[in-house]
Amino acid sequence: MNPGVALAALAVVSLATAVIGFYGLRISRTTGDFYVASRTVRPWWNASAIGGEYLSAASFLGVAGLILLSGTDALWFPVGYTAGYLMLLLFVAAPLRRSGAYTIPDFTEARLDSRAVRRVTSLVVVLVGWLYIVPQLHGAALTIRITTGLPSWAGSVAVVVVVCLTVVAGGMRSITFVQAFQYWLKLTALAVPILFIIFVLAGNGTPALAPPVANPTGLAPAGLYQNVSLLVALLFGTLGLPHVLVRFYTNPDGQSARRTTLIVLGLLSVFYLFPTAYGLVGRIFAPGLARSGQADAMVLLLPGELVGGTAGDLLSALVVAGAFAAFLSTTSGLVVSLAGVISQDVLGGGVDGFRLAAVVSALVPLGFALMTDSFALAGSVGLVFAFTASTVCPVLLLGIWWRGLTDAGAIAGMLTGGVLCGGAMVVGAMAGASSTPAWLAQPAAWTVPGAFAVMVMVSRATVHRVPKTMSRVMTRLHTPERPLATER
Amino acid sequence: MTRVRVTAPRTAPRPAKESREAAQDSEVGQVFVRSLIRSQLRLALVVASGFLLILGAFPLLLAAVPGLAETRVAGVPFAWLLLGVGIYPVIGLSAWLYIRMAARNESRYRDLADDR
Repeated sequence: MNPGVALAALAVVSLATAVIGFYGLRISRTTGDFYVASRTVRPWWNASAIGGEYLSAASFLGVAGLILLSGTDALWFPVGYTAGYLMLLLFVAAPLRRSGAYTIPDFTEARLDSRAVRRVTSLVVVLVGWLYIVPQLHGAALTIRITTGLPSWAGSVAVVVVVCLTVVAGGMRSITFVQAFQYWLKLTALAVPILFIIFVLAGNGTPALAPPVANPTGLAPAGLYQNVSLLVALLFGTLGLPHVLVRFYTNPDGQSARRTTLIVLGLLSVFYLFPTAYGLVGRIFAPGLARSGQADAMVLLLPGELVGGTAGDLLSALVVAGAFAAFLSTTSGLVVSLAGVISQDVLGGGVDGFRLAAVVSALVPLGFALMTDSFALAGSVGLVFAFTASTVCPVLLLGIWWRGLTDAGAIAGMLTGGVLCGGAMVVGAMAGASSTPAWLAQPAAWTVPGAFAVMVMVSRATVHRVPKTMSRVMTRLHTPERPLATER
Repeated sequence: MTRVRVTAPRTAPRPAKESREAAQDSEVGQVFVRSLIRSQLRLALVVASGFLLILGAFPLLLAAVPGLAETRVAGVPFAWLLLGVGIYPVIGLSAWLYIRMAARNESRYRDLADDR
């Protein structure tokens, strides 16, 4: 495709992000604004922002790429990404909002009355965030290389620079507007090209569905264990993601946190129809894209491949813009939540500390992304979900619903889950994708129950450590706000 | 005029909330709270398992009826429609039902707590 068109698309998205970010600067004044947008964001804005933040490189590029490679097996990814929000709604949304905490470490500290738990949670949250930013930067590198021919690092660096500028300038208030804008941009950028393509192809009739292409990754087709384990990771990983959770503090009360989640579910359901359509169309009409070993770039290449000409160039530019919106929004959401954690724990709060922490939390994963190569985006994000499901998820679920949780149990469980899942990820990465057995490649099915079991057993053994504040905190988590805040 | 340094509260407890909890410190208050938590947890578990059952039934259905996965509806294989489109309304419906029932549990609790 035409590099000039792609570069122009990038420039426009970055500029729009920066402008909306600076516009937000004028209305963010206090520390409260910086952290959680003063809890006054309306549900529709908030839901669009959550959607914008959540739909990352994995959703925008990775899902379609995986569907192209492995067909219906890969459909479990978008289903899991969406159903994870259902779990979040059922078990976490309202209580977490009612806890009144700013970040996940705030929550665990308040619930378990322990500074040590706070430190371990902070460590885990920062790790999760960094692990999650790396695939975003890989996606940016891939997009830049494929569409403009520039070296890969330029893409990662561009994303980090724009994110740092936006976050440092405006904090969460402006981020909310930026994210909301980016959800709708991403949706448009996927929907318009694929509808155009389907319209063009409709006249030509439907050829037979191409048989699965000659498995270019060398991976065995997913068995029952892998699909189940993947679903465990996605269902339980979503409710521990720091950048998703921080959004719930911006709701005015528990019931509106639930309503926001319902809108998010609708937005995600509509969005995921399109990567699925790309995957199906790609499988039928352009199976060659899978053989080139760059399935992740399929969404970017399909318009040029199937439409071509000026129309193809314009559609490609739109897709590139949407892809960059995905990298920018997820990265900035993660950077904001990491900066919140780091600045409160290490730098003592305050706006300057937040800015410094934001820059640090963007630069570390940049270094890691530049040193490593990307493999399938949806797969590597799936592993981050497995890690979250094995660490943050148990402490949240048990903390909200079980009175018996103790600080010792929480720490032991998080460390167990982190070591088991982190170990599986490291061993799997060293062994290479083709020689990793299924139970190591998709560890969630055993690391998540393991973390839960350790957390419960150690808590049972240390019953005397149940905090005195426990029943107060449980009351605050679960009782509705007064006066009748739901009637609005 | 003095300048005040604004810092983040670590756990942000609010006066209004403190009173909300204090009101429930009595024995009876705690009974109500415990029963609210139990009913909310039961509701969440019921909705979650219902959803997972339906989700699990989808691939079973495809495996049980031979040829169904390949049947074309408007050019799209049925397996793709089921997993790629059909599951989302199920998710949305589960969420909507849950929100209604959860709000009902809460208003029942509110009635009990206010009557006291």
